Amino acid sequence: MSVSRRGFLRGTVLPFSGTVIAARGMEAYQAEAAQERNGRSLVPPGVTEIRISSNENPLGPGKAVLDAILGKFPEAGRYPFNSTPNDGALTSAIAAKFKIKPENVVLGGGSQEILKNAVRAFTTPSRGLVTGAPSFENCPGVAKKLGHPIKEIKVDSMFRLDLEPMIDAAKGAGLVFLNNPNNPTATVHGAKVVADFVSRVRQSSPDTVILIDEAYHDYVTDPSYQSAIPLALDTANVFVTRTFSKAYGMAGMRVGYAIGRAETLKPLEKLRMPYNISVFSVAAAIAALGDAKHIAAERERNTKVRAFTIKALDEFGCKAADSQANFLFVDVGRPTKEFREACAKQGVVVGRDFPPFEKTHARISIGTMDEMQKSAAVFRNVLRPVATSTGAPIEEGSWR
Amino acid sequence: MALTRRGFVQAAGIGAAGAFAHSCIGARGRENAVWSAVEPTLHAIESGVIVLASNENPLGPGVRVLNAVKAAFGESGRAPGRYSNAGRDLIDAIAKKQGVKPENVVLGCGSTQILRSATHLFTAKDKPLVGTIPTYEECAGYAEMMGHPVRPVALDANFKIDLDKFADASKDAGLVFYCNPNNPTATYVGAGATREYFARVNRESPETTILVDEAYYDYVTDPDHDTHIPIAVENPRIIVARTFSKAYGMAGLRMGYAIGHKDTIKKMADWDGGTGTGSLNVLAIHAGIAAIQQDASFTAEERARNRAVRDFTMHWFAERGMKPTDSQANFMFVHIGRPAKAFRDACRKKGIAVARDFPPFEKTHCRLSFGTMEEMKKAVAVFGEVLAKKANAA
Repeated sequence: MSVSRRGFLRGTVLPFSGTVIAARGMEAYQAEAAQERNGRSLVPPGVTEIRISSNENPLGPGKAVLDAILGKFPEAGRYPFNSTPNDGALTSAIAAKFKIKPENVVLGGGSQEILKNAVRAFTTPSRGLVTGAPSFENCPGVAKKLGHPIKEIKVDSMFRLDLEPMIDAAKGAGLVFLNNPNNPTATVHGAKVVADFVSRVRQSSPDTVILIDEAYHDYVTDPSYQSAIPLALDTANVFVTRTFSKAYGMAGMRVGYAIGRAETLKPLEKLRMPYNISVFSVAAAIAALGDAKHIAAERERNTKVRAFTIKALDEFGCKAADSQANFLFVDVGRPTKEFREACAKQGVVVGRDFPPFEKTHARISIGTMDEMQKSAAVFRNVLRPVATSTGAPIEEGSWR
Repeated sequence: MALTRRGFVQAAGIGAAGAFAHSCIGARGRENAVWSAVEPTLHAIESGVIVLASNENPLGPGVRVLNAVKAAFGESGRAPGRYSNAGRDLIDAIAKKQGVKPENVVLGCGSTQILRSATHLFTAKDKPLVGTIPTYEECAGYAEMMGHPVRPVALDANFKIDLDKFADASKDAGLVFYCNPNNPTATYVGAGATREYFARVNRESPETTILVDEAYYDYVTDPDHDTHIPIAVENPRIIVARTFSKAYGMAGLRMGYAIGHKDTIKKMADWDGGTGTGSLNVLAIHAGIAAIQQDASFTAEERARNRAVRDFTMHWFAERGMKPTDSQANFMFVHIGRPAKAFRDACRKKGIAVARDFPPFEKTHCRLSFGTMEEMKKAVAVFGEVLAKKANAA
C-alpha cells in the first residue's frame, strides 16, 4: 500500500460526528422501489416525508458502529476471511454473547437469508410450510417460488399466532415459521406457551423443523416473554433467528443469524452464501454487540414512544393489538390502502396491506417522538370524521 | 470512545478468530471431491502478514470509492440503518458503463451468488456442470452439494482451456463454467477462439448454457482481448459474470453482477438476488456506483501497476528455472517442484500467505497473487529462502 493511500485512510478514520437519526426497512423499500419504478410516489413533491413503514430503529446504528466501519476502510479490498478480525470473529462474538459454541451459530445476509434457506432446506413438494396469517411474508414467498405447499393459519381474536391450529397444521409439515413477536401484529407469546407449542409439535410431528424468528426480541417488555434460544439449544429441529436490522439499527448492513443445535443448523450452513457478510458489516456487528447500553436505551425510547402513539390512536377511536415490538397493528376502520394514501399525501408513509386485515388494519412503525407527534396530527386529520369499524363516529376534537 | 471501540473490535477479533477458524470451512462450498478443498487463509491473518493468497487488489478500492462509502452514511449517519433502493441505481450505472439495458443486469453478493444461481438454475441430476480442472471451485462445489454431476476437463499442456476437448465435453451439459482468465492457472483464451467455441456449443448442444466468468477481465494484456458481454445480451445461452472484488479492490464489500439476455437475467433475479434487497448491503451498493462511474484510467492504472509487478515476479521465478504459466491476471501459477502445502506452510512461518492446494497440481504447483511491488520484493526474498531448501526436506 502506498504512503499516500495510507495517509488518506488515516485521514478518514475519524469518529463520525453527525447526529444520528433514522433507519428504515426492507418491506417499505420493496413497495416504494416498485412505486418509484412505476414513476409514482405517494408523497407529493415538496412534502417532508416521515417513513414509519418498515419497523426500523429510527436512530440508526449509532456512533460506535459508524466508527467501526470507518476503522475497516484499510481492509475494504480484503475478503472477509482475510480481514482482521475475520468473519469468523463475528460468529465467535455472537457465540460469546449467548455463552454457546460457534457451531451453534450460522450467519446470514440479514435473517432473511436464513429464512430463505430454511424454506429451501426443510420444505419439499410433500412437506410444506406452516405460518401465521398475517405473519412475515418472506418464508411463504420462497415456498411459493418453489411450489411447496403453504398453510397459513389466521391469528386469534387478540391478533396472536393461533397455536392450536398451527400444531394441527404442523403434522407432516417440513417447516413451521413462528414469528415471536409476530410481524405485523406485534403480539407475543410467553416463554411457557412457546415451550408447550414446541413440545407438542415435536410429539406429533418429530421431523418438522420449527423456526422461531425473534427479530423484535429487543423491543419486548412483556415479562412472560423469554427468548427461545435455550429451548433451541436443548431441542432437535428447533432454531431461533435474530437480526441486526431492528433494534441494532443496521438494516442496510445485512447481518442476521440463526442459533440452534449444530445438527439442526447444518443444512443452513451448507446453503449459506460464502463470505456473505461484508468486512464493514462484520466490524459493525461486532461493535454493536459490545454496546449493550445502546440496545437498552433503544428499548426504553421505543417503549415510551409506543405508549404515546397507542394513546393518541386510542383517542381517535383506533385500537391497537398489544404491541411488544417497534410497530403497531391498528384498527383504522377503513381499507389500509385508503388510510395509507391519505397519510402519504401529508407526508407520513405507513405499512403495506396485510391480508386478511387489509380492509380494517394498518401497520404503523414507531419513529422518533418528534416523528410520532407529527404523525399523530396527520392521523387525526385523516381519521376524522369517518366512522370507526365499530360504527361510532369520532367527534371533532375528541382526539385530545 | 471511538478509539476504545476500535480497540475492543481488534481485541475481540484476534482473541476469538483463531479458535473458530476451522468451523466455517464447511460453509465455503468447496468440499467437492473433484476440485480442491480447503481455504487455508481461513485462519485469521495477523497484522503484518503479506497476503498473496486470494487474488485481491492490494491497494483496495481507492479514495473515490471510500469517500462514497462515507458519504453513504448520510449527513446524520442514518443510511447504514436503512434499506435503500440504490441497488436500482447501481444496476443503471453498470448498464450505462457496459452499454446494455438495466434488464440485462442482475446483482449478486460477490460473483459468488451469480455463480451459485447459474449452477442452481442450469444444472440438474441429468444436466451436468462442465468445467476445467483446475478452475474456480464455486460452481462445482454447489453442483455437488445439490447432487448434480460435474464433468471435469483437463487443461492443455500450457495450462490453457483445451477448446476442442472442452467443446466435446460440453455436449448435453446443463452449464459450462468458462473461467477466462482461468483461476488458478491465470491463462487466457483469446476473444476470437472463445467466440468460435461458443458458436460450436450453441450449434452442437443448443440447450447448454455457458457462464463466462470475467472476474479478471481488467488485468488481461493479451492483444486479442475482448468482453463477451455483447454476445451475452443477445444470446439466452451465454451469461457473463463480473465482480468488484478484483481490479476494483472491493473484495470485502461483496458485490458482483451478471450480464445476459433479459430472459436469462430474469430467471436469475427471480431465483436469487435481483435489485439487491436480500443480501447486498447499502455501503457496497454506493461503493459499486462510485467504482463503476470512475473513468477508465482507474482500471488502466491498476492493470499497468499489476503488469509491472507480474513481470518482476514471473521473471524472478523463470530466472531460477521455475516456469510460471502465461499469466493474464493478478496471480500466477508456477511449478515449484514440491507440494504446495510444504511451500505454503514454510512461507506462512515467514509472514507470507500464499494460496490453497489446486488438485491435480497440488504436488508441484502453487498459485501466488500479486501484491504491491514492495510486498513482492519482500516476498521473493522469502521464496528464495524457502525454495533453496531441498524439496524432499519439506
